[in-house]
Amino acid sequence: CLGYDGEVTRGYVVDQRSLDQVKPGSSAEQVLVVLGTPSTTSTVGGTAWYYISQTVDRTFAFSAPAIVDQRVLAVYFSRDKKVERVANYGLQDGKVFDFISRTTPTGGAEQGFVRNLFRSLMRFT
Amino acid sequence: AVPASAIVVEGNHRVDADTIRTYFQGTDEGKVNDAVRSLYATGLFSDVRVSRDGGRIVVHVAENGVINRVAFEGNKKVKSEQLETEVTSKTRGPYSQAFVAADVQRIQEIYRRSGNGNAKVTSRTVDLPNGRVDVVFTIDEGSKTGVKAIEFAGNHAYSSRKLRGIMTTTEMNLISFLKTTDVYDPEKISSDEDLIRRFYLKNGYADFRIVGTDVKFDADEGGYNVLIKIEEGAQYTVSSVRVDTQIPGVTSDSLLPFLKLSSGDTYDGDAVQKSVEALTREVARRGFAFAEVKPRGDRNNQAHTVSIAFTIDEGPRVYIERINVHGNTRTREYVIRREFDIGEGDPYNKVLIDKAERRLNSLGFFKKVKITNQPGSSPDRVIVDVDVEDQPTGSFGVSGGYSTSDGFIAELSVSESNFLGRGQFVKVAIQEGQNARGIDFSFTEPYILDTRIAAGFDLFAKQSDNTQYTDYRTFVTGGTLRLGVPITDEFSISPHYSIYNTRINIPDTTSYPYNDCQFPVNGVTPGVGVLGGTPPTLVDNCLTNGEASLAIKQAQGSTLTSLAGFTLDYNTLDNRKDPTSGLFIELRNDVAGLGGDSQFVRTSGDLRYYHGIFEDIVGIVHLQGGQITGFGSESQLRIADEFQLGPTLVRGFAPSGIGPRDISNLAAYKYNPLGGSTYFGASAEVQFAIPYLPRDLGLRGALFSDAGTLFGYQGKTNFTPGGGACVASLQAPTYTQGTCVQVRDSAAIRSSVGASILWASPLGPIRFDYAYALSKDKYDVTQAFRFSGGTSF
Amino acid sequence: CSALDTINPFGAGEKYETKILAETPATDIYDQGLARLQKKDGAGAAKKFAELDKQYPFSDWSRKGLMMQTYANYQAGDYDTAITTGKHFYQLYPNAPDAPYALYLQAMSYYQQIPDVSRDQENAAKALDLFQQIVTKYPSSEYVDDSKYKIQVTRDQLAGKEMSTGRFYLNRRNYTAAINRFREVLAKYQTTRHTEEALERLTEAYLALGITGEAQTAAAVLGHNFPDSPWYKDAFAKLQADGLEPNEDPTSWISRTYHKVVG
Repeated sequence: CLGYDGEVTRGYVVDQRSLDQVKPGSSAEQVLVVLGTPSTTSTVGGTAWYYISQTVDRTFAFSAPAIVDQRVLAVYFSRDKKVERVANYGLQDGKVFDFISRTTPTGGAEQGFVRNLFRSLMRFT
Repeated sequence: AVPASAIVVEGNHRVDADTIRTYFQGTDEGKVNDAVRSLYATGLFSDVRVSRDGGRIVVHVAENGVINRVAFEGNKKVKSEQLETEVTSKTRGPYSQAFVAADVQRIQEIYRRSGNGNAKVTSRTVDLPNGRVDVVFTIDEGSKTGVKAIEFAGNHAYSSRKLRGIMTTTEMNLISFLKTTDVYDPEKISSDEDLIRRFYLKNGYADFRIVGTDVKFDADEGGYNVLIKIEEGAQYTVSSVRVDTQIPGVTSDSLLPFLKLSSGDTYDGDAVQKSVEALTREVARRGFAFAEVKPRGDRNNQAHTVSIAFTIDEGPRVYIERINVHGNTRTREYVIRREFDIGEGDPYNKVLIDKAERRLNSLGFFKKVKITNQPGSSPDRVIVDVDVEDQPTGSFGVSGGYSTSDGFIAELSVSESNFLGRGQFVKVAIQEGQNARGIDFSFTEPYILDTRIAAGFDLFAKQSDNTQYTDYRTFVTGGTLRLGVPITDEFSISPHYSIYNTRINIPDTTSYPYNDCQFPVNGVTPGVGVLGGTPPTLVDNCLTNGEASLAIKQAQGSTLTSLAGFTLDYNTLDNRKDPTSGLFIELRNDVAGLGGDSQFVRTSGDLRYYHGIFEDIVGIVHLQGGQITGFGSESQLRIADEFQLGPTLVRGFAPSGIGPRDISNLAAYKYNPLGGSTYFGASAEVQFAIPYLPRDLGLRGALFSDAGTLFGYQGKTNFTPGGGACVASLQAPTYTQGTCVQVRDSAAIRSSVGASILWASPLGPIRFDYAYALSKDKYDVTQAFRFSGGTSF
Repeated sequence: CSALDTINPFGAGEKYETKILAETPATDIYDQGLARLQKKDGAGAAKKFAELDKQYPFSDWSRKGLMMQTYANYQAGDYDTAITTGKHFYQLYPNAPDAPYALYLQAMSYYQQIPDVSRDQENAAKALDLFQQIVTKYPSSEYVDDSKYKIQVTRDQLAGKEMSTGRFYLNRRNYTAAINRFREVLAKYQTTRHTEEALERLTEAYLALGITGEAQTAAAVLGHNFPDSPWYKDAFAKLQADGLEPNEDPTSWISRTYHKVVG
């Protein structure tokens, strides 16, 4: 009803026509031309290119975007950079869990409360 | 570098040979020439000659004299210190004829830019016994040369005066010595011409062209005459508007509702731009993130119509590789990054980037927000750079009211809207005045649990002893919990729960004997006292020295109110602090009765509409209204719950100056407002820049007229013990208070007309209001003058 | 404001009269500067040394003055001025014996102003660049050891910033952005403490995407190089929960980047 943004695609925009042109045996350059730069890859010339796209729904302006659909197109290459196989991972493959909350400590001067307030007081004029 | 032995330096006294050698990066011809050129550039040497002796280079230099002091004569408008920093000849620096000549030009340019086109600058040197020399610049500032006249040729549709109004440059006139906008500055003139072009495009003149600008310097007038020749062309109306899409699955007519102009309207450049934005957003929402919308207008010169076609086709498939944030020395990065609806890896979409930029600007944390793109690591990747510059977000507010009879009340508040760079809002306000003393603390976190819901709480304690408006003192302490839930960019709901305790007490002292009919005060209440005092008469009794109304006496003691409710906000203002266009609507509904003593349903509404009438004249319409009804066992409302309104409803009235009043005691009716259950108000205001005053003084004027009413007292009127008939007041011999309240409850429209001065002073926005009450009810209380000011640091 | 000046009828502007400015010998000014430094009056000392540069321009004294000015400003905590005078010194006398010290003072001035990771790390980047210049251009200078240590700290800080942005996107389930940020840490800041967490986060991200192969590899490399790190325990637990074992798919990019560098 109040679909603020409604469903918005995030990440790679899948285009079925060009998808069909990627068949085992086509070269890396061909895939690059047809599908464009992958969302993320293993090392260049490595073994796998991943095209990640998500459909996100935002019913209200305040709600955090909920992932409605998630597709990963994985293109695996053989040693001689020919497409070995193409795999698809859907939302159901993804595991849902909450991430570890611990973080590696980092340095740098934390903003002192008083110093921060005082500093903005000082710039009175 | 070159070994020291290869270069021999001769003729140098003050300058070290090593320093000269560092200029020689090599010994070949090219490097030597470079070295000679850069040695001359230092201005230290009047002559540099290089010769070769065997393998080595011999550099013969003749040093310039040293300047003892640089002095300026005859400069009034521009200070010597400022000139000193601008000229290249420096005290104790090298004296070079070329530098001094360049300095003369430099000073001339400074004077030209600050409005003295025909200032004359000469230089002379004075030799000193110690072999040094003084450089003296003599300046004859001459009279101010500003823009004498701005004329237009070829303007039929709009008068020259109207076009001049759009320009920032103004003509010289009586108060030129105060103004700086009448200084002739070519850059300002060309930016003014852009303003005029945009104005014409906005009003349908698609063919508008500025043919030429000739500027003649009129020596005897001491000013420039500027003539701007324009060719308006005809005013075009839109003949047809069409959307052609090359994107499969997106039909043209499904996009028509997003167009901001339709056939028949006069052509409007801005509306075309807004339509492009709306179309891009809609198409992106439908999953075509790379669509590009281009407007094309084909003119029909005879019929003076233009048909506009918006073509939408697949743009380049570009993704965002990284979003880098720079310059945030105080604000934390996630506060900036969370304003972006798109992230790294998403398709590049200009509309969403602009929206993020607008959001960042409206946060008010940054002096400048600039988002630029750079090419990414591959052709279909782009890196978005977000450059921000933090600004102080603390604000220190002083506001006060002044009424003719009671002097000042002041409120001091310190608030920080970007607390510790986390985007949290913290405010502490202390109120101190003759009749109010209070403190309240509020905290808001705009992003609870990483959603856009804002959550916050307020704690407040307020003792108001407004004895110059009412006969009672209130002491309210309590707290509120609130949430802010944005539904769309403009529309949000804020549910809240608040619980507070209101204690009413009526002072009964020698200086404020407002309850002495019930509890006589020695020496003040007639008829009471050590020797029996003077007996009360019709003219001198416990009522004449001021007495609180029975209704107020009944409301003494403390009442606990626990209420829940919500506020609906619709806000399309273009700028929160100083809106010039947009609409702000707020509806508020509260239900009290979840425990506590008060039980009522209160709804109130507020609507403000700002509309830019002209380049900087803003029209404001403000409507407000509210209604409260009690429910439950004793459905009468308490004094503390009813609306007590004054200047916020109609300017020119004192606080609680409007509305139902207990007039049974005519001596003190002014101080017995009872509050009403229903109010309506309307106000129209025009804000404008005060003509002839230079813009940089920051003075704006406003004219306004308000009208409103407050009525419907719902409290008890008969306080006779046992509910009998009323006993009249002022009965001999005691001349004391009766047992009933005589309520003056008129729904007459109170109205006023007034003017105010808004001053964006270095201390912050200050507003002086003066309002004259046109129509008022017989027993309303007026307060003509009011001021409020605040500053931000 | 300037507008009011024009109406002030008295000021006819200053008249010029000859005045010879006194000339104090350079050594006195230098000693006065040193005395102020002793008294911890850095700002006052900087002013004195600046006078030295003004009175005896383009002389050996001005070089000493400029260096001491940088040092005094640094001591006084006025880092921005210390950076400007230090840069000015380095441009004028790039091959002077105390040039590395000028670089070092500039680097330390940026280093002292490094804020926490949630804010712009430009100072860390500039400090890192200057420390690296010291190590490459003046390998034998006395500041190399401290510079090497500071390089490690600043790189760690920059890696921390990438990690915090990566976590920002991970929490919002934008896995592409998160993976690329953690990749950046592995590629550019491999010797910092954040690599362990980067590998664990990659395991999480790839698991959430369902690409178990990459997740297993990331966990395997993490285990291989940091067997007792708490991060490896977390990664291992995550995989276990889905019945997977960390096994290194040698062809995966993570193990390739790792072996290439760590060998």
